[in-house]
Amino acid sequence: MELLSRHLVENEAFLKSTFIDCPDVIFRSFLIGKETKALLIYTEGLANIEEIDKNVLSPLMQQETEGIPDIQAVLEQKLSVSKVKPVTDTKQTVQEISSGNPVMLIDQQLPGITIGLAKWEKRAIEEPMAESVVRGPREGFTETISVNISLLRRKIKCPNLKMKSLVVGRYSQTQIVYMYIEGIVDQHLLDEVHNRLNRIDIDGVLESGYIEEFIEDYPYSPFPQILNTERPDVAASGLLEGRVVILVDGTPIVLIAPISLYSLFQASEDYYQRFMIGTLIRWLRYILLLIALVLPSTYVAILTYHQEMLPTTLLLSIAKSREQIPFPALIEAVIMEITFEAIREAGIRLPKQVGSAVSIVGALVIGQAAVSSGLVSAPMVMVVAITGVTSFAIPRYNASTAIRMLRFPMMAAAGTLGLLGIMLGILAIIVHLNTIRSFGVPYLSPMAPMKGAEMKDVLIRAPWWSLKKRPRLTGYSNTNRQPEGQKPNPLKGTE
Amino acid sequence: MNPDYGQANLRKIFFLFLIVFVTLLTGCWDRKEVNDLALIRGAGIDKKQNGKMELTVLLYIPKGGSSSEQGMEGPGGGGTMQTLIRSAQGNTIAEAMSILQEKLPRKIFWGHCEVFIFNEAIAKEGIAEDVDFFIRMPELRERSQLFISKERARKILSLLPPLERDLAEVVRELGEEKIGMTVTTKDFAEMLVSEAGDTAIPWIKILPPIEGQEEKRTIAYITGTAIFKRDKMVGKIDDSLTRGLLWLRDEVRYSTISVTPKGKKGFVSMKLLRANSKIVPKIRNGKWEVVLKAEADDDIMQNTTDIDVTNPKVVKALEQQLNSQLANRVNETLKEVQKDMKADVFGFADAFHREYPEVWKKEKHRWNEIFPNVKVTIASKIKIQRQGMQSGHPLISSEKGQAE
Amino acid sequence: MLERGKISALQMAFMMNPTILATGLLLVPAITAKTAKQDLWLSPIWASFIGFMIVFVAYRLHKLYPKETMFEYSEQILGKIPGKMVGAIFVFYYFHVTGIIVREYGEFISGTFLHQTPMVVVFSTMIIVSAMAVYGGLEVIGRCSEMIVPVLLVLYLVIFVMLLKDLDTKNFFPMLENGLGPSLKGSVVLQSWFSEFILVSFFFPYLRDHDKGMKWGMISVFSVMFYMVLTNVMALLLFGKLTASLTYPVMVAARYISIAEFLAHLESIVIALWVAGTFIKITVFYYVLVLGIAQWLKLSDFRSIVLPIGFLLVLFGVWSAPNLQVLSHFLSTSAPFYLLSIQAGIPVILLIIAWIKKKRQQMKGKLIG
Repeated sequence: MELLSRHLVENEAFLKSTFIDCPDVIFRSFLIGKETKALLIYTEGLANIEEIDKNVLSPLMQQETEGIPDIQAVLEQKLSVSKVKPVTDTKQTVQEISSGNPVMLIDQQLPGITIGLAKWEKRAIEEPMAESVVRGPREGFTETISVNISLLRRKIKCPNLKMKSLVVGRYSQTQIVYMYIEGIVDQHLLDEVHNRLNRIDIDGVLESGYIEEFIEDYPYSPFPQILNTERPDVAASGLLEGRVVILVDGTPIVLIAPISLYSLFQASEDYYQRFMIGTLIRWLRYILLLIALVLPSTYVAILTYHQEMLPTTLLLSIAKSREQIPFPALIEAVIMEITFEAIREAGIRLPKQVGSAVSIVGALVIGQAAVSSGLVSAPMVMVVAITGVTSFAIPRYNASTAIRMLRFPMMAAAGTLGLLGIMLGILAIIVHLNTIRSFGVPYLSPMAPMKGAEMKDVLIRAPWWSLKKRPRLTGYSNTNRQPEGQKPNPLKGTE
Repeated sequence: MNPDYGQANLRKIFFLFLIVFVTLLTGCWDRKEVNDLALIRGAGIDKKQNGKMELTVLLYIPKGGSSSEQGMEGPGGGGTMQTLIRSAQGNTIAEAMSILQEKLPRKIFWGHCEVFIFNEAIAKEGIAEDVDFFIRMPELRERSQLFISKERARKILSLLPPLERDLAEVVRELGEEKIGMTVTTKDFAEMLVSEAGDTAIPWIKILPPIEGQEEKRTIAYITGTAIFKRDKMVGKIDDSLTRGLLWLRDEVRYSTISVTPKGKKGFVSMKLLRANSKIVPKIRNGKWEVVLKAEADDDIMQNTTDIDVTNPKVVKALEQQLNSQLANRVNETLKEVQKDMKADVFGFADAFHREYPEVWKKEKHRWNEIFPNVKVTIASKIKIQRQGMQSGHPLISSEKGQAE
Repeated sequence: MLERGKISALQMAFMMNPTILATGLLLVPAITAKTAKQDLWLSPIWASFIGFMIVFVAYRLHKLYPKETMFEYSEQILGKIPGKMVGAIFVFYYFHVTGIIVREYGEFISGTFLHQTPMVVVFSTMIIVSAMAVYGGLEVIGRCSEMIVPVLLVLYLVIFVMLLKDLDTKNFFPMLENGLGPSLKGSVVLQSWFSEFILVSFFFPYLRDHDKGMKWGMISVFSVMFYMVLTNVMALLLFGKLTASLTYPVMVAARYISIAEFLAHLESIVIALWVAGTFIKITVFYYVLVLGIAQWLKLSDFRSIVLPIGFLLVLFGVWSAPNLQVLSHFLSTSAPFYLLSIQAGIPVILLIIAWIKKKRQQMKGKLIG
């Protein structure tokens, strides 16, 4: 680690050579008082120039006193900026400049001062796009980590909300912060998160997905083992359950770990609605999940292996509609599923104006033309449409992608072994899910291994007053969420 | 567990899966597309002169994809012919089936075959071998119904029913109404292995078409029961005797009974709501007896007499009459089936076996001698529950009643 | 230790249920009906006694050697060479039995709906999925069964309920026509199923809650008995005397379900569920086999032999019988003695010797003291 020199000239030379060909880094030399040389370095567009002019440059330059000003005096008397920090080594200086904080160096004085006047164009806090709710807070995380931290701090105002910061990415120098609530989080989990984050050595981190792939337990699993969200309330509830929230600068998506499979099928709104509705919607989601996974394959299996399973009338009408179809059922299903995925993907990627055109074409191609031209049977279109809709009912986008992906091997299995193939596929998925863990937490807990008390937040959405325990993730610290006996009762408090 | 280990393992398994699936995809041994199936809806078995049997199948033709096409094809709204008849001869059903397959471009699929019709002639020779095929063949359903027909099974299957999709559907629905007996292959097999081993199968015949209609536009309907000694048909009883048989077998589900009250003109018709019957065997002093205990609830449906059906006394009398009518029916049935045909289709043998296992073991071989002489007494309790929405007297005589 | 995972006693109980029932449910009604006639529902009750006994014996042995499985303590009890011999007997026995189970599975699948698919394919797909679970170790197997088995047990009851309207209680009678004899005779074959409970002795050392092992083992035997009785009652009341002449009565029973015409022909779903149960059964046997071989050969890790043994199991499946008739003849005649002598005989002998040894040691201890 190289320390800053006492001589401004040396420092300046060093920094200039570091930021050579970086015209956006501005070196502003000025004098404090009459003769003390000082240098202000900032990155254009990342620093609040007005504030610098008003609160840094003008008070210092108008300084009357003679002699070399003491750095302490400068800080205390002249700099009317709230966030200042000393820097001593060159590496940190460079980093501060790159991340937008102006650095002021004074000749013959150490340390240098970073002035927290970084400012750049930010997106305002908006409603999250991917996770909208009917009832619940409308704010979402933004690309700026400080804003995101503040959003979480607004939810949990206790000083026990702690955070640790680190910088990842040799070139991107991305700030990563992990947050937790001291006293709830398990220490082993915290150590594990810390170790895994510190192991990362990569050139750049542009999104939290990079981090996710570096720290998850089973990289070869289609299932996400870390939850991601852009909703502060989801992150806050994770914190309250003893999970760790990882924020990455530059992306509105934060990571929550550890999770179980069931976290992927819970929406924040489940907890804001009445618990009965929440429960029913959860059940609906589980059913839809199963449908999304096995409907096309079951259709293929029944149609090519188990024709006797269908009620006669249904089979006869399907037979009628399939009479002219040139493809075997399996190929038909695969073609239609791929078409559907193509339309879905195109709908996301294309500019909004073109997107609607795609959906019109898609509806016509899938719906009308394919059927009337006799290439695809009408029941198959229905099956694909239902599957598509159900897969969107899964609240987490990456979970629904996993399910949609697994649909294809399931179809292949159904096409070769019928329902037996589907069953074996499901068994393989169950075995796999039981094998993987998320930061040491079995992926299917609390169902397997069974934990009775926690199941009421998975099988149903129990009312808040009955959710007395936190999920026991890896450890046992502070499992009580709330005291007993808070079930509302009109007679309460009257006696 | 060591996580690194798991990863390496996962990769291996992933590739293994890939390989397996790829090899499997080349297989698809048992795959059969719906387009390649000949969906059999019903089958009929006839006897040919040369000693062989003839298997006739009723196939469904999946024609007319979309609804618009159908409108053009079907003149007069009746729709086009949706079914097809094919026959083949052979020594066994399995043999006939393979010969039949030669005549069909699609693979025969039995999974939706719900009806089997045997011609009388073949029924007289025995049908156990055929039913064996029905049970052995994994594709076939144990719930398929069996029927015996007077006409050739082929002729019956070739009918074009005006109301339902095809004949098999008609006969199956009729069977499920449970007016007559309903016998599935499982029931038949069960009867065959019961102590007595005598069986009964509903009897169907062609309903004469409405005048002016095509000869084929009609259906076959259940009218009576064929009685089997073991698996060989020995006779047939008509509809009303079948009712008696159903009472003895505790299978009465639906019936309407009309009685003429004593000294009156006209009828009171009653609908059966619930019926239960039980046969209680007794061996007294070496005499084998059976008591039929029957209970039923009825509703009055129609009253064409001038009696007051709201009067409990009248109702009592009616109930009395119902009881005796039931006894008559059952006795008539017994006379024909027990005395003349000597076929134990009532399950008497099983009842005795259950009640008197010791005696049964000794006397089992004599059952054929004992059976015709088993004395049957009838103890029935029929209750009339309600008189329907119209209370009191019939409309015609109601004025009179009020005037009095 | 080879296996680092721990399971709960409840998980063990869940594992054992399909391990006994999966193949049992298919064949038991027909096999018992042949000898026990209408008393077939009594046979599982008699047969379950051997199950209770074996769990007891296994638990006693476990108490004596709490950290070891039978492969390990047989050496301690009998000495090195004879112990290894017993180990060898068990290894080859489990090879054979697992092969038979795989074959039963294949026979059923091929006989009922995949008629043309080569049986090797049917075997190997199942073995691959099982291998995944065995690879994961005992914990994964335990958790899988904890998820799958309750669902299966409940759905099985649902089948029973759906058939209620077709059941005829008259078929129960005459009860005990020829005394207890036939039902006892019928239970002989069933005992071979119940004797498979000796598998718990391989799980006892890995229980998280040791003291509950006995309790849950017994509950498991009881629940197996309950389901077998239920199955036999179902077959008896539905088919009466026909039961004995059907190959797979439960399967036909499932086929017989018809509710509102739409819920009909559930046999494929029943097969699928049964496959899930068989998966657990094969996995448990496969796991014990793999663990046993690893302990017998004193390997450091059992994972490396999972796949090779899987291949061997496929072969054993093919070799174990030339056709279904031979297989079911074997199962209903010589198998009970074969299975019983190894699964019940050897553990009992081991326990007796261990007791005598312990007594002697105590005597010696007293003498010296």
